[in-house]
Order: sequence, then structure tokens, then C-alpha cells
Amino acid sequence: MTDNVFREEVRAFLDESLSPDIKRAGELMTSVFADFEATMKWHRILHAKGWIAPDWPEEHGGTGWTLNQRYIFQEECKLANAPAFPAMGLQMLGPMLMHHGTAEQKDYYLPRILSGEDMWCQGYSEPGAGSDLASLITSAVRDGDDYLINGSKIWTSYAHHSNMIFCLVRTSKEGRPQAGISFILVDMATEGLKVEPIVGLDGTVEQCQVFFDNVRVPVGNLLGAENQGWDVAKSLLEFERGGHNFTIDHKKQMAKIVQQAASQRDSDNRPWKDNPVFSAKLADVAVDALALEFTELRVKGAFEAGGNAGALSSLTKVMGTEIGQRFNELSVEIMGEHTLVKQLDALQPDYKGGSIGPDCGLTTMAEYINNRASTIYGGSAEIQRDIIAKRVLRL
Amino acid sequence: MFIEYSEEQTMLHDSADKYLRENYSFENRQATVRQKSGFSGEQWQMFADLGWLAMTFDEEVGGFGGGALETMILCEQFGKYLVLEPYLESVVLVGGLIAAGAQPAIKERFLSGLMAGELQGALAYLEEGNVGNPHYVETKAEITGDGYVLNGSKAVVLNGPEADLLLVSARIGDNANHSKEGISLFAVDKNTTGMHCKNYKTYDGRSACELQLDNVVVGTEALVGEVGNASTMAAPIFARAIVAVCAEAVGAMDALLTVTVDYTKQRKQFGQSISSFQVLRHRMVDMYMEIELTRSLLMATAWKLDNGSEDAQQCVAALKAKVGKASRYVAHNAIQLHGGIGTTDEFSVGHYFKRLAAIGVMFGSRDSHLSRYMRA
Repeated sequence: MTDNVFREEVRAFLDESLSPDIKRAGELMTSVFADFEATMKWHRILHAKGWIAPDWPEEHGGTGWTLNQRYIFQEECKLANAPAFPAMGLQMLGPMLMHHGTAEQKDYYLPRILSGEDMWCQGYSEPGAGSDLASLITSAVRDGDDYLINGSKIWTSYAHHSNMIFCLVRTSKEGRPQAGISFILVDMATEGLKVEPIVGLDGTVEQCQVFFDNVRVPVGNLLGAENQGWDVAKSLLEFERGGHNFTIDHKKQMAKIVQQAASQRDSDNRPWKDNPVFSAKLADVAVDALALEFTELRVKGAFEAGGNAGALSSLTKVMGTEIGQRFNELSVEIMGEHTLVKQLDALQPDYKGGSIGPDCGLTTMAEYINNRASTIYGGSAEIQRDIIAKRVLRL
Repeated sequence: MFIEYSEEQTMLHDSADKYLRENYSFENRQATVRQKSGFSGEQWQMFADLGWLAMTFDEEVGGFGGGALETMILCEQFGKYLVLEPYLESVVLVGGLIAAGAQPAIKERFLSGLMAGELQGALAYLEEGNVGNPHYVETKAEITGDGYVLNGSKAVVLNGPEADLLLVSARIGDNANHSKEGISLFAVDKNTTGMHCKNYKTYDGRSACELQLDNVVVGTEALVGEVGNASTMAAPIFARAIVAVCAEAVGAMDALLTVTVDYTKQRKQFGQSISSFQVLRHRMVDMYMEIELTRSLLMATAWKLDNGSEDAQQCVAALKAKVGKASRYVAHNAIQLHGGIGTTDEFSVGHYFKRLAAIGVMFGSRDSHLSRYMRA
């Protein structure tokens, strides 16, 4: 099948299956997450079609598509405003289970990720361990056939929607800090585990803090061997850093700005697109986005040739997020005072009340605010630059 | 040109700083944000009692005769403590316009009520899709035998829900909708028949509304300034308002730098305070330099406005453009250096960021002011 025929097939499916309410949830995204109910509805539709995990090997429920086809699918989904899926299960834990899990773990957990039965969250950061993740102190102490876990995890995205959490815990204080860390899978219904939501700057909850007070977890829930958790996590972090395609997001942002700049007028009564100062700034960002697009294609080429992204994935994370933030700033400038209106109810896909101000500016301020976190999570821009300094420049 | 505060100005600065430090904690501020009005009536009354609301009005109307410098001094402190009370909307904008052009009866009644802390105002001048252009006015005023009838709608009326008096811009005659000419300003009581407000909160915690005017009938005394002359009358008031928000921005940026420096000293990663990392030290130095450059521009602009300097308007444009750039740099990096905690509602950093973002879009974006600067 040629790529164009494949693209047509995907489009036809999206046309038919993306109901208006699911699409609206995608349109109203103000962060990497869409409305939870709509997202799960879309998850079940894709699961029924067998397209929920294109990046997984076929034997585990993948689609068997080429890298190009997977890229096309991702692009068409985003351009059609399909809600994005939380990365924690499908993109992060899934591949790690495939690499490090026992046959029993794979057979049990992978189908439950595909079906949406399990929602996973990631328990890595702690109040005292952020960029310096290896300094984490949440402990798992052996007690018979169980571990007793004590401590707390923070910035746990979507913990309030999850039933499972994968955690890095300290099982030894010997040697290098990295050497005493284990990777463990925890059922969040276990006694002693408590989730506290953290309200973000836009007034909504995406992050949580998770508390562990003598949480009893069977030894069999380790992923990988005891004290080998850092290696498991390291490959997962690389996956998190290399696994995102920023170009599609940028294209969507650009399309939105073009729409805004055509409809809103500047102080000289010109559509913003005809304002020379603004156009020059937009072009500046667009050129950087184009350069990043070709960089992502180089990374894709390296994958196709069987190699890996190496430190280029740090480069795409830094530049991808920073370019995204610059697009956000331009949107705010065009939409002006309209961005001040806080209307969280109108950001719900099923809201029927009518929104205030131009529809093209409804999400602008929340996106700008929420996207500040993109250069912090998943390895901050400073940590990514350190990685490039060490691995590429050998500094 | 050398700017030195007078004794009175130094006292105003010190007393505002002291009062707010002792009486305007971040925790109380957040409790106020959660209330419907978005500000504290008790604080507003205190501001009146302290003489702040009367500070910039002429002595003949009962004020203290202060100018742009006094506005700057107060607003810088408001920014530092994230003050929510609608000083900008009620005093600088509506108070300024009423003092400049309202007819005697309204002027006397509103200004005395405003300075006593009893009345508030809101300026309704923006229209949907054209908020970047204060001269875009589709709202119509029709002349009748004994006054005017207003019809149209206004977007993002800050403090609209709490205002007693709204100043509404409307067009009389056939000029194009975006023309600077032909705009008039009307003082309309909030309770007048035909005024419909759709209220909401803003991202920076204040209250605002969209205003619909359906056959709103006002008398001839409602006209503020001359017919068709509102843009000329309003120009110096907007210049003052830009100084006010930019001073607020400088105060907010100061606070952000202080809290960021403190945090990076306390926060330990990799066995040391993160303030020991050179990349973060230099970032904070750059924040500091941006703030001080902005402060210089702010002080010079306020001084030039008070002294009627020829290049005052050009400095106003430069100031707003500079604040746009500096406040983003400072706020973004304050969040970045705090990491996750900087993105939470619980911590002050994000609230300074949101106020600075709001200031960034008010009275013209950075781009508009860069263009203005080049033209001046």
C-alpha cells in the first residue's frame, strides 16, 4: 500500500469514527491531556479497531505498520483533533514491560493497557528529587514475600485518574545512589496509598502528590531485578525524551495562529497577519520549526536504519518545547485582552452554554500557562543541555 | 535628567511598602481571589483612608496633586504584593477620564465618592475581535432631543461587575468603525436600563464582564469631554495607565527575582544548592539586568510625563515594549528555576506570572508599541 492510500484509509476511518464530542475534546486541549471521559471513549474505539498501539510490535497488539505509516497515523489523528492519549501506559510502561517484564507480567499487564482497563501513572519525582532523580528516598523494605513502601512521589500526572502506578523506590543504600533503586508496579487501591491533587496555574488538576504509608506490594511486582531499577528507568526516560514528535504539534499551532492572525485586528486595523513586526516574528519561529522538522526526519531516518536518536533526542526535546512556547506567546499577543477571560466550563467538550470572546482564542491563555511546564517535565531544558554537553561535546 | 524622589514621594513609597508588607499577605490575597468580587472591600477602604485613592487628583477636586511619579510609586508596590484592588480601573482610568472631561455634577459626585472609597469605575472601550485597537468602536450613540441612546457591545470590561459607573466609548456620525475621529465617551450608571453584563473571572484573579448595551438612554450630562474627541482626551490617561501597569510589572518582577534567588539557595540537587550552578546564576543575573533596565525606562518615562517632555509619548511606547520582553524573561525563568512547584496554584510564583501575562496584553502588545516607537 502506498503512503497516500494509507493516509486516505486513516482519514476515512477518522471521518467516520471521531464523533463531534470527541473531536471537541481534542480541539479544547490546553495541555498534553484532553478531557478524560472523551479520551477514554476514543481509546475504546481505537482499541476495537486494533489501532490503539501502532508503535508496539504486532505480537503484543501493534499494527505492523511501517515507521512512515505510524507517522502518518499520528499526524492525521492530531490534525483531525483526536484527543491525545496519556503516555504513561501506552508509550512508557508498555515498551518497558516488553523489554524487562516476565512472561507472566507481559501477559497480564499489556492487554490491560491496550484495553484501557488499567490507567498507569509514573511515580518518579519526589519533593527532594527532581532533576537529581537518583537521590530519591521513597523506600521499599523487604517483609516476607512483600515490600513495604514508605515515602511520597510528586508531579504524578493523572494519578487521580489512574488505578496503577509504576515507581522507582530505594531498596538499598549501598554504593552509588543509582545502584540501590528498584522498579516496582503498585496497585493504587492498596491500603496506605493516598493521592492528593495539585491545582495547576490554569485552575485545573493534572498533577498529584502520592503518599505511601506502609504500602504492601508483592515482591513479584518488581520489573527487572532488585536494585536494577535505574537501568529500566533510564531506557524509559530515553523513550520519553525521544518518543515525541513535536513537528505535528507545531504545525497545529501554526495553523491556529494563521487562523487567529486572519480574524483579529491590530492597532492599525489590519489583520495581524499583515502586521510587519508580527509577521517577521512568526516567520522567525516558523523557520526554527522547519529546521526542527528536518531534524526529526533525520532522527526518523536513523531509526529506520536501525540506529537510535542518541543525543538528538535531547536536542528535539529542548527545541521542540521551546518553539512550542514561542508559538504560545504569539497567540497570546494576537488574542490580546480576550485571553484574560477564564472560562473553565467552556473548555469542557459537553458545555452548551456558549463561550465568551472569539472561539479561536478560547484555549490560548491556558495553553500558554500550561505549556511553561513543558521545559520542566521529562528532563528539564537544563538537564537536556547537560546531556548534550556530556554526550555530544564530551565536556 | 536625574530622578530623585522628593521627601513626600519617599514617604509614599515607604508607607505603601510597609502597609502592604504588614497587611497584604499572599495567603489573604488568595482567599480574596476565591471571593466573587475578586478584591477586598476592607482593603479598598484602607487605601482610601491612607489617601492613596486621592493621591493623583488635583487639589481643587480634593486630591493631593500627584502625577505619573506618584502613580508609579504606588503601583510598583501593588505589583510587588500582587494587589487585586481595582486601582488601575477605578482611579487611573475612570478617575483620570472623569477628572479630565466629565461635566461638573458627575465629576463632583464620582470623584468625591471614588476618593472616599465608596464608588468604583470601569472603562468599557474594547470590542470583540479588535481588542488591539482602542479606536475600533462599532457601538453607536444616537443623539436625541435631551441626550443619547447607546447600542452595541463591549469586550473584557475589567472591574465591570463591581463598578458603579461605566465609561462607555461610542460613535456618533459616519466615521469608519476604526477611525480615531468621531468617538465619544459616556458616563453610564451601572443600573441604567438596557445595560447587560456577563460576568466572569480573569486568569489573574480579577473580575470582568462582557457588556451589552440595548437602547441605553442617558442625558446630555453623561457626555465626558467633547463630542467625537474621546481619543484625544484619553491619550494622556492611557499614557498614565501604561506607566501604572509597567510599574506594577517592575514590582512583580522584583518580587519574582527575590523569591527565585531565595529558592535556588535553599533547593539542593546533586548535593549542592542549585544556586551554585553557573547556568542558573547567570540566568538570575540576566533577570536582574532586565529588571533594572526596565526600571530606568519606567522612572524616566514617569518623570517625562510629569514634566511634559517632548519625547514622553515615545518613551511610553518604549516602556510598554520593554516591559513585554523583560516580564516574559523574568517570569518564564522564575518558573523554570522553581521547576514543578512554580507551576502550582499554591505557590506565589505562578500568580506573579499570570499578572505579568495580563499586563503584557493590556493597552497594546509589545508589537504595537514597537511600531509606535518607530513611528514617533
